[in-house]
Amino acid sequence: MTTPQPPIRRPLPRRTLLATGAVGAVGAGLAAAPAATATSATSAARSRGFRDFFQHGVASGDPLPQAVVLWTRVTPTAASSPGSGRGPKVDVQWEVATDRRFRHVVRRGVFATGPSRDHTVKLDVTGLEPARWYFYRFRLDGVTSRVGRTRTAPAHDALPDHLRFGVVSCANYQAGWFSAYRGLAARDDLHAVVHLGDYVYEYGPGQYGYGQDDVDIRTHEPAHEMLSLADYRQRHAQYKRDRDLQDLHAKYAWIVTWDDHEVANDQWKSGAENHTPGHGAGGEGSYRKRRARAHRAYDEWMPARLDGTAALGDGDRLFRRLRFGQLAELSMLDLRTYRDRQADTVPTPVPNPDPATGDPDRTITGTQQLHWLKDSLDRHRPQWKIVGNPVMIAPVDFGALPDDAIDAVHEVTGSAPRDGAPYNVDQWDGYTDDRRQVFNHIRNHQVKDALFITGDIHSGWAAELPYDASTYTGTGVGDSAGVEFVCSSVTSNNLKDITGTPPRTSSLAVEETIKANNRHVKYLDFDSHGFSVLDITAKRAQMDWYVIGDRADRDTDITWSVSYATRAGTGRVEAVDGPVGA
Amino acid sequence: MSTTRRTFLVAGGGLVFSTIAGAAAAGSGARGRKRAYVIVVDGCRPDEITAELTPQLHALRDGGLHFPRASSMPVMETIPNHVMMMSGVRPDRSGVPANTVYDRSLGATRTLEKASDIRSGTVIERLNRHGFTTGTVLSKTYLYGVFGARATHRWEPGPIVPVSGHAPDQFTMDAVLAMVDELDPNLVFVNLGDIDRFGHADFSGTSVRAQRRLALADTDNQVQRFVDMLRSTGRWKHSVVVVLADHSMDWSTPDAIITLQGPMDADPMLAGRVQIACNGGADLLYWTGPAADRAAAIERIRAVANGVEGVLAAHARTEPWLRLGPEAGDVVAFCKQGWRFSDPDPSANPIPGNHGHPATRQIPFFLAGGHPDVPRRKASAAHARTVDVAPTIAKFFGVGRPRGGWDGRARL
Repeated sequence: MTTPQPPIRRPLPRRTLLATGAVGAVGAGLAAAPAATATSATSAARSRGFRDFFQHGVASGDPLPQAVVLWTRVTPTAASSPGSGRGPKVDVQWEVATDRRFRHVVRRGVFATGPSRDHTVKLDVTGLEPARWYFYRFRLDGVTSRVGRTRTAPAHDALPDHLRFGVVSCANYQAGWFSAYRGLAARDDLHAVVHLGDYVYEYGPGQYGYGQDDVDIRTHEPAHEMLSLADYRQRHAQYKRDRDLQDLHAKYAWIVTWDDHEVANDQWKSGAENHTPGHGAGGEGSYRKRRARAHRAYDEWMPARLDGTAALGDGDRLFRRLRFGQLAELSMLDLRTYRDRQADTVPTPVPNPDPATGDPDRTITGTQQLHWLKDSLDRHRPQWKIVGNPVMIAPVDFGALPDDAIDAVHEVTGSAPRDGAPYNVDQWDGYTDDRRQVFNHIRNHQVKDALFITGDIHSGWAAELPYDASTYTGTGVGDSAGVEFVCSSVTSNNLKDITGTPPRTSSLAVEETIKANNRHVKYLDFDSHGFSVLDITAKRAQMDWYVIGDRADRDTDITWSVSYATRAGTGRVEAVDGPVGA
Repeated sequence: MSTTRRTFLVAGGGLVFSTIAGAAAAGSGARGRKRAYVIVVDGCRPDEITAELTPQLHALRDGGLHFPRASSMPVMETIPNHVMMMSGVRPDRSGVPANTVYDRSLGATRTLEKASDIRSGTVIERLNRHGFTTGTVLSKTYLYGVFGARATHRWEPGPIVPVSGHAPDQFTMDAVLAMVDELDPNLVFVNLGDIDRFGHADFSGTSVRAQRRLALADTDNQVQRFVDMLRSTGRWKHSVVVVLADHSMDWSTPDAIITLQGPMDADPMLAGRVQIACNGGADLLYWTGPAADRAAAIERIRAVANGVEGVLAAHARTEPWLRLGPEAGDVVAFCKQGWRFSDPDPSANPIPGNHGHPATRQIPFFLAGGHPDVPRRKASAAHARTVDVAPTIAKFFGVGRPRGGWDGRARL
């Protein structure tokens, strides 16, 4: 539990603390003598010459007007490797300043960590000013971390001119380099980064990699599918050692949610496609226990508030709202923890929608989160009601695809295979009663400017959200519940990777067929990897899609691809000539 | 208050203006060069303002200060929202919560169209007291009635279309132009009723709505005439033009009608003791039984209403966010999108276009004009509301605020 932090000018006790995970404050700066509680083990490590304390970078997240979560992980001894459960308890100093050189420190303190929390440091720094850039760093035993930068959210009733977020999802380490993160880190015009899930992947080497043959451009650690707490910790640690990921975490606050791969593929509330229950041969034990371990590691390693706090072990509720003045509010969803099992597909000579997808007793959100989401879509909330949405909500009929494309599209999207139902039962299309409730709520209350930003599907989409897709023309009054922008994957395979064809060749026919069958879909790119930039003003919301070259090339080029926008109050999507900040 | 009536001849007939006698004697001159015009495009949805269909409104919106989050206020009906625009206070202070209420003293439902129905002051009177002149050009007879003789100059709407009870926008704009040309008030409050009236009556289908599209295009032309006049006479650079709607519009089919009187009368506790004032998208329900039973009756009314298909929610009128006052009865029921109330019987409300419910809350709201106070090509995420008009106008003219303050906020 985080303890309240007094202003630094207040007289402080020599030492405040310290149970593991608690935050205290000290009067001395990071340049002062080592913290009084630094252990002899750390000193011993130093004496042996081990000084590589900050191997996993620094991060910040969940910005509020007066608070932000800061994160790092220390490796106090060579033996204190992630997931090892080894190493001493140590006190890590932290400080926050308004300038990069730390001449104006506004908050500082000490955080106690140790092996019980995998030596992660995660604290909620309060007492900050709204809409302000801050710089932060950590220190252990005289060694200082790199400097991170973060920005608080605007004040509750502020009217910011604009907000700009980097948007990413689906970063499979084995499939290539995180050039998309590099592209965002090179920008200096964002306010935060939104990650929509699949931040880590559970697979072992050779199970899911680059292209048709699942080549591992880089190899996962541990070298097997992650199951234990140590596995999940090690995997998070491996990702956090990626240079591009570290740079992006250090540059901006992140706002994250999980999708399925943070635990296991196609997870639902009591299981997952990639989980074999039981303890016999091939059994992977209890799914709920596995998920609890995954969530524990996530809580330790990600700069996010679970259950509204930066503390560990107090719950794993990840759906939450972050407000940015009167301009926008971001509601981050958790569409895995509470959902019912995906509907089975129904193989028939004619694709046959499974009635289970519309069963009102089945849910993708869970009852509590659905009520919460409707409240997020309340007319009294800020203008842009942005929903961080791990899986697509726009209805998509994948029917009538060319025969030779069906299997590949299925592999990318998760839609039903040949002869199955022509939609993706892992998305909201598999839980249509929940979607109906959300859309009816929007319609009954004439909620405007609902904007879903989505990941998961390894492709870029811009779509309107029709109340009735079958009759939708895009010309009626009030016929759209809002707009959905879907970012592509950072590295995870898309259509061209699976078909083995050059980019923008065979996929074009598939994309045109889907757009023709789904008139509300205005943009679809099944081939590209990259990131998006979402820019919000009172007049419009614009998404820019940037694409990378070859994922196997660490220094591959990054180029702007397309931009689409929705004007305030319209629920329509239109192409835009160029990106913001260009 | 004594008035004089004057008739101005324009193409197609005469326009009758009533003027406060004293103001007429004093020459009814405006004070200073500032002008403010409040143009209500009655019942217009914000998504109906497009470059193709309503180019003038679209250009005004994009050229000034646009509030895309703007909304009407409960009950989303014409009279209460016009009263909120001019009073700057909510219905619990103005006394006007809906178009139609059940008048307990009368023992019948009636339209709130008497000048005495407004209990609060208005920015019209406030301007008058500060030596400014004001004018109302209101296309609907009940609006003309409820604002009564408050303005310095008032147009008596005509010709009135039978059934609709409003003057077509062509005539309304003729009156606006004549009033500005001849009397030039500092403030003119205008209601253009065609979009609403053709929306109500459009039986051409909920997807086509051909009449409404024609009305939108025609009203846009009338706004064009008005702006052209401001520019050609040099008034534009001294003016703020507030354009907004009083509510939005929703359409229902004959199979989506809610009648609550039957379910109320079928309930042993409520039978014969509930009166209903139907407001299209909202029903106001009044307990007429013993006062001692009121609390229990309200819960029962809500339970019965909430069980009727098509009802979105039935709220106790005293819920703080509603701020409707006792004139609104005991329970306020809203319908879902695509439905309408028809009380006391299914034939009482045959029109497909309705409002009053939350699905008709969003409105266009923007500030235009050439006065330096008006921002250019801006949009604001602030939640502007109909009740913000009066404080905006008051701030523009510097005439202070009423005792107890405004319920709205100045948007300049």
